[in-house]
Parts: sequence; structure tokens; C-alpha cells
Amino acid sequence: MDPTVLLQQVVNGLSIGLVYALMAIGFTLIFGVLNVVNFAHGEVYTIGAFAGLLLITAAKPPLWVVLVLVLLSGGLVGWALERIAFRPFRRFRDEASLKSKAMREATLLSSLAVSIIVREALELKFSGEMQTIPQAYLLQNPIQLGPITITDGNLIIFGLSAVSLGALQFVLYRTHIGLAIRAVSNNVLGAQFVGINTTRAIVATFVVGSMLGAIAGIMVGLYQGAIFPQMGFEPGVKAFVAMVMGGLSSIPGAVACALILGVSESVATQFFSDGWKALVSYSFLLVTLWFFPSGIFGSKKEKM
Amino acid sequence: MKARLNLALVAGLVLLLIGLVAFKSSYFDQIAITTMIFVILSASLNLITGSAGLLSLGHAAFFGVGAYTAALLSTRFGWPFWLTLPAAGAMAALVGAVVAVPTMRLTSIYFAVATLGIGEMIYVTMLNWVGLTRGPMGVRSIPGITLFGAEGMVFSMVVTAAVMLAALWVVHRLMHSYYGNSLRALREDDACADAMGIDVGRLKLQSFGVACCLAGFAGALFAHTTGFISPESFRFGESILVLSMVVVGGLGSLYGSVIGAVILTVLPELLRDLGSWRMITVGGVLFFSILFLPRGLVGEVSAIDLIRRQIRHAPGASRAAW
Repeated sequence: MDPTVLLQQVVNGLSIGLVYALMAIGFTLIFGVLNVVNFAHGEVYTIGAFAGLLLITAAKPPLWVVLVLVLLSGGLVGWALERIAFRPFRRFRDEASLKSKAMREATLLSSLAVSIIVREALELKFSGEMQTIPQAYLLQNPIQLGPITITDGNLIIFGLSAVSLGALQFVLYRTHIGLAIRAVSNNVLGAQFVGINTTRAIVATFVVGSMLGAIAGIMVGLYQGAIFPQMGFEPGVKAFVAMVMGGLSSIPGAVACALILGVSESVATQFFSDGWKALVSYSFLLVTLWFFPSGIFGSKKEKM
Repeated sequence: MKARLNLALVAGLVLLLIGLVAFKSSYFDQIAITTMIFVILSASLNLITGSAGLLSLGHAAFFGVGAYTAALLSTRFGWPFWLTLPAAGAMAALVGAVVAVPTMRLTSIYFAVATLGIGEMIYVTMLNWVGLTRGPMGVRSIPGITLFGAEGMVFSMVVTAAVMLAALWVVHRLMHSYYGNSLRALREDDACADAMGIDVGRLKLQSFGVACCLAGFAGALFAHTTGFISPESFRFGESILVLSMVVVGGLGSLYGSVIGAVILTVLPELLRDLGSWRMITVGGVLFFSILFLPRGLVGEVSAIDLIRRQIRHAPGASRAAW
């Protein structure tokens, strides 16, 4: 195969992979703290894209304002999500029931229910069609870079993802709330003993994770020019696969696997037709589950 | 345990169907058939998710395998219904068993994820293997149910009802027996069940195979009664719908999953005038039932309650002991 084409596909794959990575971090953070899967995470991504679109059509602000406001709305959505779909099921405060099987399945189903409601409500409001995005905001201006062509969307995704990942590291390792999040995900009871407000740490996790999800949504919406109510499903599943491959609670593992997924999907389109592309990530998922049950980069101690 | 199939419930269901037939409207007939198909699906999912504790997020895919098997065999090769029905069940069970063998080691959330992946893989295959399945265009003009020269809407309904009752009977026998007890042991703690000498892997495989086979039968009924199938009917959303029926009714309770299926197929039809509010209703019902009725509408009767009740009714039993 032509190396230029391959390089082109790798660049495209990396930018999609970074988006999966941003989504996967949200999943991983929440799984680490509560041991639950947040099935509504794909809808956070959709809401991020729609919030950005509404802003653009209403006020036509510059792009950075859109991004900041989407970030804020993502945080708000995360807070609301925790409040509606997770907190009512956290009836007891000890570790055994916080991370119990019953709790896990109840919140899995409740987040699924919330995701159905959000998606259908969006479809009711905006119809299931692709939304029209003003031309000026589409991140599709080509930039020639040696033999390959990238768009300004690629650059913005690279830049913003790097900034977001850096900010996440800062929050997790340099702030008090980050310390609390890490403490709760390590040992809930221990965190309570040293006086950490676990509820606040859990809310903070949802806010941070949803901010990353929402920003991913608006970036992809503008980069691919496709914003529609069902858009969150696929990246949600892909990010989920990346999280499982990375070992459920390892952020570096999830990011690495998300990049692997993005690149291999993008390269696979050279060999298969577009429709079969989805099989790539599901095959990765099954192979991981069969041969590396604790994830490729996962630690051995995580046991379900 | 002397749990018999609740005659009152079955009678009620049959009466409901007769009532719908009395309207002499094909719309009501169609709802009745759809409801019965979903009763089969939710009862079979309840066997694996409720009794054996294996949360499956891809049940609709096996329903789809059955539907496509029946549709293609009857449209391409002209097979009659009495052949396509068992073929659909066998095919779904086969696919289920093949994908289940490596998946059975997984537990809890990993199993759920694997079934989600498998379900999506089957969906992608249906959508893209255009040579076999005609892809997104779907399979059209599938012949209706004919048996011994009898046909028509009411006859289809009778056949569907018969298959449904047979499926309910099978699931009921499996759930209320020592076999069902070992499935529940698996759900509570599979390592412990293993230590007690229960062959965990084989049990999971068998129950999964049976559930997929029943889903395949439901698929054949669906293909023959609607006459048109396309991959969209067998996607993740549909799996979630069936799972919601089981959860709303009560995990591990067969009556619960029958009632759940009836509620979640009839309620959206009643709200049909509201257009796309249908799925929102499903989501809302699911959410509030998890919040307020964690055990479902008809919770599973725990074994100890059953024994207590029997002892209480036994002649000469002292009430004070319990």
C-alpha cells in the first residue's frame, strides 16, 4: 500500500482515537470511583454537540467561547446525571454496598434508561436528521502538510486533547479534589475515615468526566459536520471498548487503547468497505476479553 | 417446590387475546401477536438474566438470527413454516452456543460487555452482508404462517399463542426445578457453586443455548407474521427493550416477565398518538421501576418464603415456630 495513504489514515485515525480517549477517560474515572458503568456517557457527548450547535446558531460567538460554554454545560450535565441516575441508588454509605453487584446493575440500568430518555427527547425536539451547521464553524479547511492533507479540525483535536489530558493530570494530581477522587477510587471506607466527603468526590468525578465527553462531542460534530441525536452511541461503545481493553481503571491504558482503536479502524477502511469498520473494535473487545481478561494494560488486582 | 404455571395468568392472557380478536381489526391482531412474541423473548431472557444472573445486552441479535433464518429459508428455498420454525430455533441456538463457549468464563459486567459486542457484530453482519441478507433493504414478502392448509391472521395468532405457551412451559419447568436452583446458585456466587460441585460452565452454556433457541423461535414467528424484516429491528435498542421488560416485571420471576412484556408492548401502542413518545415511555417506565420497585412488579419469590408458606399450610403445623 502507498505509504502516503497509510500515513494519511494514521493521522485521521489518531484524531478520532484522541476523541475516543477523551470519552474513555470519563468512563474510566467513573468506573474507578463507583465501579459502575455509566451507559449515559454517549448522551453526554451528544448533549455537548447539541449545546455547541445551539450556541452557534443563537449567538455566533467565536469558537473558543463555544468550547468554554460547552465545557461548562458538560459539567452541568455530569452533575445532573449523577443526581438523577446514580445518587438515588446509593442508599448506604459503606463500601460493600457502594460497590456491590446489586448497586452496579441498578445504576447500569438507570443510566441506560436516562440515556434512552435523553436520546428520544433530542430526537423529538430536533428530529433524527443531521443538523445543519453554519459553514464558518466547520473544521474542515484543508492544510497541506508535505505529502498528506490534514484539516484544521485535526489540529484543533490534537491541541485540545493534549490540553484536556494535561488539565486532567493537573486536576487529579495537583488539587485537593483530585486527591479526594483518587482516594475514593482507591478505598471508599479509608477515604471516609480521613474525612473526605465522598459524595463531593463522586460528583466531581462525574463533572470532570462529562466535561471531557462534551468537549469531544462538539469537536467531532464540527470536524465531521455531523450532529444528530444518535451520534453518541458509536463513540460511546468504542470508548467503552477502550476502557475494557485498558483494564477498566487505568487512564493511561484507556488512552493508549483508544488510540490503537482509532488508528486500526481508520487503516481498516483501506481494506474493507466502510460498513464493516465497526467489526474491528468489537473484535478487539472480544479478543481482549478472551485472552486478557484484566485488560492489556490492566493490573491483576481488579477482580469482578 | 410446588410452583405450577399460574393458570389465572395464562387464562387472563388468553382472554385478552380473544378480546383483541373480537375487535376484528388487524391492528389489534398485530399488537396481540407482537405482545406474544415479546413474551417469549422476555421469558427466555429472564432465564439467563434473571435466574442465572448473566446480564445479556445482545438478546435481540439472536432473535434476529432466527428471523433471518426463517425469512431466507422460506423466500429463497420455499421451506414451509413447520420446517422454518425449528430451523430458526436451531440456528439461533447454534450461533448462541458458538459465541457462548469462549464467553462463559466471563462474569458480571464483562459478560454484559461481551454480549453487547456480539450483538453489535451480528447486527453489522446483517447490515453489510448484502449478498445474503439484502442489507438495509431488508427481506420483503415473507410468506405468512400456513400449516395444514390453514392460514390467516387469526390462525397466525393461534400458532403464536401455542408457541408462546410451550416456551413459557419450558422456561417454567427449567426455573422451578433443581436445575433452576443450581442456576440461582450460579447467580448468587458462581465460585461457591463451582466448589459445591455444580458444573458452572456447562450450566451457563445450556441455559444460554435454550434462551437463544427460544429467541430464534420468536424470530421465526416475527418474520412470518410481519412479512418484512430489516436489521434495524434487531439492534441494541431492541435488546434493551426486552431487558426492560424483564427488569420491570421482576428479575427471576416468570410471571413478572410476562406482565412486563405486556405492559411495555401495549403501553407504547396506547400512546401511539403521541408519536415518538413511545421510547421515552419505555425509558421512563424502566427508570421509575428500578427506583421504586427494585424487585420488579412481581418479585421473585425467594425459596425460604416458599418453604415457610408450605409449612404454614401443612396440617398440624405450629404457627409459632415461624
